[in-house]
Amino acid sequence: MTDTNVMYPRKPKRITGRSIAVLVFLSMAAMFFCVPLYVLIVTSFKEMDQIREGAMFSLPTKWTLEAWHFAWFEACSGLNCSGLRAGFWNSVVILVPSLTASIALSMVTGYALALWDVKWAGPFLFVLFLCAFVPFQIIMYPLIRLTVTMGIYGSTTAIAFVHTVLAMPILTLIFRNFYKDIPPELIKAAIMDSGSFWRIFVEIILPMSGNILIVVLILQITSIWNDYLIGVTFGGLGTKPMTVHLANMVTVSTGTVSYNVNMAAALLTAIPPLVIYFVLGKFFVQGIAAGAIKG
Amino acid sequence: MPLRWSRITPQIALAPAVGVTLVAFLGAIGWTILMSFTRSRRLPEYEIDWDNPFRQFNRLFNDAGWQISLQNLIVLALGSALAIVVGFILAAMIERERRGEDVFRTVFLYPLAVSLIVTGVAWRWILNPQFGIESLLRGLGWESASFNWLSDPATAMYAIIIASIWQSAGFYMALMLAGLKGINTEIWSAARIDGVRLWRVYIEIIIPMMKFTFLTCAILLSLGVIKAFDIVLAMTNGGPGQSTWVPAYYTINAMSAKGNLGLASAAAVLMLLITLAVFLPLVALTSWQQRQARKGHAT
Amino acid sequence: MPSVSFEHIVKRFGAVTVLDGLNLTVEKGDFLVLLGPSGCGKTTLLNLLAGLLDVSSGRIMIGDRDVTELDPKDRGLAMVFQSYALYPTKTVEGNLRFGLSARKLPKAEADARVTWASELLQLTPLMRRKPSELSGGQRQRVAIGRALVKHADVLLFDEPLSNLDAKLRTEMRLEIKKLHDTLSPTVVYVTHDQIEAMTMATKIAIMNGGEIQQFGTPDEVYENPANLFVASFIGSPAMNLTNARFRITDGSPGAMFDNGTKMDLTGYDFVSTPQDGDAIAVGMRPEHFLIDTQGTQQSHSAFDLTVKMVERTGSDALISLEFADDQLFVRAEPDRAAKTRPGETVSVQYPTAKLNLFDAREGRRL
Repeated sequence: MTDTNVMYPRKPKRITGRSIAVLVFLSMAAMFFCVPLYVLIVTSFKEMDQIREGAMFSLPTKWTLEAWHFAWFEACSGLNCSGLRAGFWNSVVILVPSLTASIALSMVTGYALALWDVKWAGPFLFVLFLCAFVPFQIIMYPLIRLTVTMGIYGSTTAIAFVHTVLAMPILTLIFRNFYKDIPPELIKAAIMDSGSFWRIFVEIILPMSGNILIVVLILQITSIWNDYLIGVTFGGLGTKPMTVHLANMVTVSTGTVSYNVNMAAALLTAIPPLVIYFVLGKFFVQGIAAGAIKG
Repeated sequence: MPLRWSRITPQIALAPAVGVTLVAFLGAIGWTILMSFTRSRRLPEYEIDWDNPFRQFNRLFNDAGWQISLQNLIVLALGSALAIVVGFILAAMIERERRGEDVFRTVFLYPLAVSLIVTGVAWRWILNPQFGIESLLRGLGWESASFNWLSDPATAMYAIIIASIWQSAGFYMALMLAGLKGINTEIWSAARIDGVRLWRVYIEIIIPMMKFTFLTCAILLSLGVIKAFDIVLAMTNGGPGQSTWVPAYYTINAMSAKGNLGLASAAAVLMLLITLAVFLPLVALTSWQQRQARKGHAT
Repeated sequence: MPSVSFEHIVKRFGAVTVLDGLNLTVEKGDFLVLLGPSGCGKTTLLNLLAGLLDVSSGRIMIGDRDVTELDPKDRGLAMVFQSYALYPTKTVEGNLRFGLSARKLPKAEADARVTWASELLQLTPLMRRKPSELSGGQRQRVAIGRALVKHADVLLFDEPLSNLDAKLRTEMRLEIKKLHDTLSPTVVYVTHDQIEAMTMATKIAIMNGGEIQQFGTPDEVYENPANLFVASFIGSPAMNLTNARFRITDGSPGAMFDNGTKMDLTGYDFVSTPQDGDAIAVGMRPEHFLIDTQGTQQSHSAFDLTVKMVERTGSDALISLEFADDQLFVRAEPDRAAKTRPGETVSVQYPTAKLNLFDAREGRRL
């Protein structure tokens, strides 16, 4: 814009006018995007009496954490009335091994495919490319049987295992595309210096992977945390993740519906990925772009 | 001949991924395809039903629930396509304006970081007939306002579409923004010097230049729509009746609620075929682009 | 320091044969430069020696060891790359040490080698820096250091100077030469820059189309090019090559140019004598011409030619002269060139012994 000001001294006025229109439009769109989050937040701090009055956008007349407290400690999910915290800890227990296993597996696979001379790398990559887009439903039942055979069905281990399996193709492609851009001479030099697959990985490649590691980490944390289907399919009693607890809480409700508790529960579920998103938004954008386009 | 570890180690390192691919993907897909040709009910039967191998597919296509699912799939795809349009408009405005880029991008993209179950809770609350936007508008004097979409089979799909546009528009905005930033800035200078109007620059120059971004978005959108399950479950749980069933929902339902493995497998196989129909253009596109890129290198 | 030999090397990439039955032997302590235009197969040959590519058939020997099937790290080589290929996350010291990682060295020995290399290459003050904090020349020295610490018997260089600016390139050229003089490893050095080849090599192998066109000392390839390709590739400004016909007049050999100009070839040291009437190419180096010399010298050919153009390049000047429907470039002192105007006539002489004659069809030297 400054360039234009230099080139066309008379134009800035018109451009500013248009800028204002654009900014107003964008702000309105932004407000629309914020509406669901806004109503979630205000409703979660209201008392049920105020909610029944119906003014959904109004601020709470009396701010209260009761609904949050209830959602965390007492709300019922199915027959279990110990609140969302059980689901929260299940999600954490699922998240940690899923992250570790899926990233370790796909990182090494991507590294081997990108930088080492493997004759069948091309066909294998193509198969992975196809696998990355296969609908989950077509492998769901066989995976249930597989986890039953392994004796882990119904445990958090099973959920973590399935997350690892499902994420492997796309993450491998992401890592492979990242490592493919490492100058070939660098890996040649490392092969001449050391020749050890693992040593080169640990000493040279791993330290260069910081950026892509954060991107993939965020991508995985949000997708594992937000998953519902795998959790509900492979989890058993007491091992289901937070999203499943939330869904049970808001759909299967007996008696009067405590909307404020539902909203608080939804926010509790959304907070971990939202925090990561707002803190590391730049990497999140890279992550979805990598996951989408390069896949 | 000496052992060459430089050859062997990478292959050993690849073994787990190959194993996963063979067992959990290729093997599992083959297994499900096999199931779709059997008379399996609750438990798998491994014998192909030679008398009538397409029994499950026939049942599927005679099932009203599957027909509704396919119709809804198309409705959802067309409706969600608005997310690409919205995404492009937002991206174009952000890219031209530059001011506030980070703030706007953060706001438009945050729904993507949130679980669809949460999205469902939020939108159901907004569309709640007692306390939601409907009562709000009636309270303001618009007595005929009706936003009780979720309980009407005719409108429930639109509620899902609105929620999914809200959820994914930011994603397409991010892809479009990346595409727009890849366009040479001299194009804008040239257009300005030629005195071309801004909307014509977009329609005649920018959008044609971004045809691959649009195509990518369209394919990703289609793949997402085929997989759509969480949003349906969270918004309507398939209801009212079967009015918001989609293939992904139908398949899970056939497996867990009906306990009919053969039928569920047939539905899953059809989902795979639909995916491939969408996916093959992507493969062709990618290889075409790679060839273009190689040609670019050669010259 | 062992010798290196390639025996009947064939290398195919799919259907494309890059090297077809190549033989080449480097004596121990030699500084061999593989020189040729891009795509001539020189880098492929180097990568085959390094073990970064596999031969399709043939054998590579280092000393009396057959290394054809060995892993790169086991071949006893070190390599310096065009892009330096320094490990970006490691310090200078880390880069030097990683070069030793395949060798199970005692710590004291490793330390001693790192110190030795850092002092030799004046890297000591830079040891804690990352490659991104170094200049191009410093990076180059680290890359060389990483190769030297391995005490490898054979050093490979893949166009190591092509990313440097002209001044640094001259300095590094001298430095590499000096290293070779003091440590005298066997060196195989790939470049497309003939000045690097002429200044550093003890042996040059000129390659084109996957074949070695000539193998010899820098002087041999410069003064006695084996064929037309070498003649036109080596030398800057390039050798003048003019088409002619071989004629035997009164028993003495001569060249008849297309416009009828004759040149006596008596005194030229023929490798093989052509038939009367054969098409030949006459090669004359621009710097061997004598200008304005009074009277015809012994066994020189003299011409009076019209000036077409004068080009000054700074320390030198080139005069282009009309000759036999073609032009001849003649090197001249800048002072002489400054006095020359297009259209004037200049008399030049060329010593017959310095002529290069080629068979015009097959390209081989006569």
